[in-house]
Amino acid sequence: MEFFDDKKNWGQSEVKVGRSWKPDELRIKKRALNYKVGGLVTCGNLKLRDRFPVLLYYKFAVKQFDFTISTEAISVILLVTLLFMFMFVRFVLLKERNMLLTMEHECKEQAELFPNPERIDKVEESMNNLETVVRERNEAYFKLETGQTGERPVCMRKGAVGLMYKHRMAEHTIPRSMNKKWQQNYKSYGHTRDARQFLKLYREKLFLEKRRARNRERNHVMGLMKRFPNLDLEAVKQQFPSVDIEKIRYHKKTRGHHENIC
Amino acid sequence: MRLSSVLCKVADLTKQYSNLPESYIKRAMEQVYWRTPKGRQYLKREVKRKKYYFGIHRPWTTEFQMENERGTMRKKVFVEPICDWSFFKGDRVEVLVGQDKGKQGIICQVFQERNWVIVEGLNCELKLIGKNKDFPGIYIKSEKPLLVTNEVALVDPSDLKSSPIEWRYTEAGQKVRVSVRTGRIIPIPRAAEETYDYKTKASYIESEKDTKASEVTAITFEPALKTFEMDIMEQMGIKEDRVPGKTYWY
Repeated sequence: MEFFDDKKNWGQSEVKVGRSWKPDELRIKKRALNYKVGGLVTCGNLKLRDRFPVLLYYKFAVKQFDFTISTEAISVILLVTLLFMFMFVRFVLLKERNMLLTMEHECKEQAELFPNPERIDKVEESMNNLETVVRERNEAYFKLETGQTGERPVCMRKGAVGLMYKHRMAEHTIPRSMNKKWQQNYKSYGHTRDARQFLKLYREKLFLEKRRARNRERNHVMGLMKRFPNLDLEAVKQQFPSVDIEKIRYHKKTRGHHENIC
Repeated sequence: MRLSSVLCKVADLTKQYSNLPESYIKRAMEQVYWRTPKGRQYLKREVKRKKYYFGIHRPWTTEFQMENERGTMRKKVFVEPICDWSFFKGDRVEVLVGQDKGKQGIICQVFQERNWVIVEGLNCELKLIGKNKDFPGIYIKSEKPLLVTNEVALVDPSDLKSSPIEWRYTEAGQKVRVSVRTGRIIPIPRAAEETYDYKTKASYIESEKDTKASEVTAITFEPALKTFEMDIMEQMGIKEDRVPGKTYWY
């Protein structure tokens, strides 16, 4: 496992790589197993869990045994590798991400600049696209064979205080009616008087927020009309669909100093 | 729709110019002051800057961060909505206002968030920098941005005079800019596809880690009636013939 970048990239102010893989490019691939990362990859939630145990073990080993990796560390690394390997296609990307996150961490420790941090985002984006393509293919198989998507089912449920939420269903060995513990955990108080009172206030709050946003938008359009006499009203309608332009067109607030509409 | 979501969005042309993933731009410009810790017991809440000031600095730069430093409040900017954006980098335009009124120049920067363009060498200002009692200071010349709505006009390539334009479709179904005065198509310049990383897509130099373009476009997909997991199991010689027991989903 190459946790650290190529030595020639150390201390560089810029390390250029291409863009991430697009879903359409992945759709024409049998398996992305042997591809390099370039055109690379990228993005967002950095899951520290994914990398830190490996990294720490590796560092520990390196420090302990004077720059040779111990068998223990190798076995841990191999184990993690195998786990990753099971999701074969992601392997190159995972390796790259491990490298980038390690380098970022190391740069931070050494108080140096990590060049082109968007590479992490590119890797993450590619991984997400890869996942969507794999899921797409699985879904096609399941729809053909079983008529269902094969994804984890989701239903709308009433929560403890009466609010609806998306419940991701789970697999159980006994039916719901026999599962006392589940019933206890997912007990709803939505029908009680307190919950009804809460919901009433909650809906009022939502309504007020919505009304405030609507008014703010309307006032903004009024300000635009006041400042720009030759405003493109089609564009305004497109950008602010909730505003009734005909209604506010001759409003006092929309009349600028530029003309006198009577 | 929240108004702030309209006003504080990074424009498409800016994203295209940056050639950066959207998530990175978001990550680089966002200022989160406080966030609830991770955990089931916490509702997801954060205190962060909602309104950003967009000037002539790109959102992922340090200059942008400095312009939007914590605690800075700026006057609200009204930006005129536009249906179709028609000014691109490399376009020849005529300046309609200011000391360079009537002169033509090439657009070198576009700031879609503010309806601004910068025309190379025109509409300049002189700034006196570094003046103190021992040193007279240096004048630095820099271009000021111009509004696309009423301060610049595109130039018709057939007679090199400014003209209002319209977006129309060719018989092939392609959307093009047409000069209203002469009916001539104003092509979108090559420089419009320029990004921070390359001038044109063809001139991009592949780095060591990049997958070759031929490899990316090669079609290796073979349809097979199996899921991804089944494929992997087959490849690794894993056989599974146990029958799962009855389960309940809820």
